[in-house]
Amino acid sequence: MDTQFVGEHLGPGQLGHFFVITSFVAALFSAFAYYRAASTEKLNAGGSAAWLQLGRNGFVVHAITVMGIFITLYYIITNHLFEYHYAWRHSDLSLSPKYLLSCFWEGQEGSFLLWSIWHCVLGLIVMFTSKGLESRVMTIISIVQVALATMLLGYYFGADINMGSSPFILLRDKMLAAPIFQQPNYMEFVNDGNGLNILLQNYWMVIHPPVLFLGFSATLIPFAYTLAALWKGEYKEWIKPTWIWSLFAGAVLGTGIMMGGAWAYESLTFGGYWAWDPVENASLVPWLTLIAGLHTLIIYKVTGRSFIATVVLFVVTYGLIWYSTFLTRTGVLGDTSVHSFTGEGQSLYWHLLIVIGVLLAIAIALMVRRWKDMPRVKTEEEVNSREFWMFIGSIILFLSAIQIIISTSIPVWAPLAKLITGKEIAPPVDPIQHYNGIQVWVAIVVSLLSASVLYLKFKKSDNKTFWKRMAITGLLGLGLALIIGFTQNITTPQYVVLLFTASFSVIANSYYAISVQKVKLKKLGAATSHLGFGLILLGILLSSYNKEVISLNTSGVVIPFTDDKMENVRQSMENVILYKNIPIPMGEYTVTYKGDSIPEHDPRTFYEVQYDIVDTATGNVTESFTLHPNAFVNPKGQQGGMSANPDSKHYVSRDIFTYVTSVIDPAKKTDTGAYKKHVVKIGDTFFVNRGYVVFDAFDTRLDDPRYEAKDGDIAVAARLTLRDLDGNENKLAPIYYIREGMENTVEDTVADRKLYVRLSKIVPDENAAELMVKQAGDDADYIVMKALLFPYINVLWLGIIVMVIGFFIAMVNRITKKEKVAKALNINDIT
Amino acid sequence: MKKSHIVLLVLVAAAVTVIVSMFGDFSTYETFASASQEQGKKYHVIGELVKDKEMNYDPVKDPNHFSFYVQDKSGNVNHVVFKGAKPTDIEKSEQIVMTGYMEGETFQCSKIQMKCPSKYKNDQIAVANQG
Repeated sequence: MDTQFVGEHLGPGQLGHFFVITSFVAALFSAFAYYRAASTEKLNAGGSAAWLQLGRNGFVVHAITVMGIFITLYYIITNHLFEYHYAWRHSDLSLSPKYLLSCFWEGQEGSFLLWSIWHCVLGLIVMFTSKGLESRVMTIISIVQVALATMLLGYYFGADINMGSSPFILLRDKMLAAPIFQQPNYMEFVNDGNGLNILLQNYWMVIHPPVLFLGFSATLIPFAYTLAALWKGEYKEWIKPTWIWSLFAGAVLGTGIMMGGAWAYESLTFGGYWAWDPVENASLVPWLTLIAGLHTLIIYKVTGRSFIATVVLFVVTYGLIWYSTFLTRTGVLGDTSVHSFTGEGQSLYWHLLIVIGVLLAIAIALMVRRWKDMPRVKTEEEVNSREFWMFIGSIILFLSAIQIIISTSIPVWAPLAKLITGKEIAPPVDPIQHYNGIQVWVAIVVSLLSASVLYLKFKKSDNKTFWKRMAITGLLGLGLALIIGFTQNITTPQYVVLLFTASFSVIANSYYAISVQKVKLKKLGAATSHLGFGLILLGILLSSYNKEVISLNTSGVVIPFTDDKMENVRQSMENVILYKNIPIPMGEYTVTYKGDSIPEHDPRTFYEVQYDIVDTATGNVTESFTLHPNAFVNPKGQQGGMSANPDSKHYVSRDIFTYVTSVIDPAKKTDTGAYKKHVVKIGDTFFVNRGYVVFDAFDTRLDDPRYEAKDGDIAVAARLTLRDLDGNENKLAPIYYIREGMENTVEDTVADRKLYVRLSKIVPDENAAELMVKQAGDDADYIVMKALLFPYINVLWLGIIVMVIGFFIAMVNRITKKEKVAKALNINDIT
Repeated sequence: MKKSHIVLLVLVAAAVTVIVSMFGDFSTYETFASASQEQGKKYHVIGELVKDKEMNYDPVKDPNHFSFYVQDKSGNVNHVVFKGAKPTDIEKSEQIVMTGYMEGETFQCSKIQMKCPSKYKNDQIAVANQG
């Protein structure tokens, strides 16, 4: 193409592209130099030191250029240079500055970039702290950085196969086919971008992805140290840094996952914080294996056992991190996920598989090479030792992860299963039940172990003390469980068991912290994170067991339920229509839709929904609050649609969660409402909104000021009584008359109920009246909404915070602890 | 054999049992015809919204009743009832995955998942329009 385009800013793109290439080359160089440093260590100390220096320089250059890519892309997005595909696709002029960063994680390139940045930051820390293992750890980190850099290369082999995709590709190069790009002045027409996905325009989406990606990135460090230890054949030096980094990764990844839950809870409308969605599972599973690996590492540190398990778990964890990217980014999940990631093409599919393959191949090769001299302990551990039960707990976490990943990966292996069985396997009809049914048992066993394991000592415990303490805390836990069970009415057997084990875990770990560890902050890491874990389980149980939809539809037409399953009946009633200013009872609340508003500088429409608690005896309002669920009505790129965000009222003991599922089409607000026909005989009733109407009688004695009788008229009124749910009665008398052979009607209304009734015909043979009824007037405005009640959800959030604090206490303790002193004093001090 | 190895074996055996038994929990993708062979049993059906047939959602009448027509992969068009509010962008969906069961001639659906065209395709038109 020789067209000279005008109005483009090509400079930033060229600079960005330069950074991309340089970062790739620098990572490659760094990996090679570090590799040479490691392999010449024994033969040639001087040469090795020189290579080490080169490797460091390479990595620093790499880190600088990765930052360069970020800054350049940021410049392009903030300056709205829509000639760049990335800016055009993921941002627009109206985007509020606080969401500019969110553009980075909407696209594939930006996500890989974010990942790469975190690796650089962590890599620089590792470079200065890893001492004797530096060359090997940094080789692994640099190799991963090479893999990530290829994701941004955007190198094309022919038309269809590409290696990575560059964030600096021009709009006109991305869409060669569009005729507009034949015009040299095409930039005059590309005035605005496509905009950021509205689901990402939420404050959780500003902080959740960076934290989650930091968690992903942090799992690289234990992986790299593990491989470095195998490579060096030296199995002591790696323990401390791996321990610290896996605590860090566990804390950050855990936070990231639950921030995702909080985002789902606050801004998505599936009505909860966890739905066992593939995208959620994909990040939970590596967290489970990471925690398992952390525990086996502690066993190895203290007793010398479980080395192989630790290596396998850290390798699997990092493999699963890449596999989760594979699941969520390649579109392989297709129809099974509510998260709307679209496929980014076959190239990425194979690219990711190759990266996973290479990383696993390196790990397996090192394991095979070192298989014979891996540390093993010949003797048998005691059944009453801490390591025995920690190991079992780790295995259970690992097996739980396997179950989740098999079910989540159905779309991946279903084509294979089709070849064998001929059936097209789909995910379970009710995924929540599927996962809960299995994972509740995992939760029971793990919470039991998390409650008791700290009371056991490494190597051998004193049975008497152990059982005494178990009995005390067990009874207290039972007491707590009974109180909760009775007040919350928890009856399903397996959840009753979980209620006990989770309560036990909360009590046992609190007791341990207070009376065994004497509240010495530095030693409280394990007890605190176990306590947090117990609280999380308790919070999940309380909030989901008694989660209640309070917006059951009790007005309007009752549909015949042909299915007698209670679940189906309830489900078909969960949306309620609220007319403006007409109160509807929901649970203990009286709920009124007060109207909508569109604030300036905000693309959303806010719906004002007022909740009142009315004292039935006195009729006084005892409590009142207003929620503002909102929605993007007709968002860009999806005309006619709507994307709703919930709003919640937070109490200490529960949340009232409300969102709008449908609204009146704003264009139809001024439209006349439709009349509905009812043919009724005397004594018949028909339902209207919030009440019903009884057809009492025909009446020919008319004294309505709106009707002036004339000779020859045949006139009749229908006497009607409207009874509404509040017990009020209103009389209506619409009139029908024939004058000079023409049919006429006089409509009657109940204004405050917005009810319009017209007597349109008499059916003399059946003594019936044909009534035309309009339930709401011209200014009818309504929303359809759902309201849910989550009891004690704050216990869950509290549990997460406590658990993460526990991880950090343990981490700080590890960093500050003098290794040898600890060992000399007491091996049971390990926390 | 070490005790931990015995426990390990028991755990793995239990896990294998659980995993094998959970295969019974997995659903299958069916067509309207094959789903109606077993009335009342829940399946997944994939299809496309039939845009020129009527779509009915009148929240004034019943906010939990949305009916529409879907053409499944084998080409059969069937009436579908969804017991909930109308999903907001169903008109633009390319493909719909429904979870539900056949009841007589109607597919009663409790969950709808839509695959919408990627924003990318939409925007080509948008750019062209602007030009």
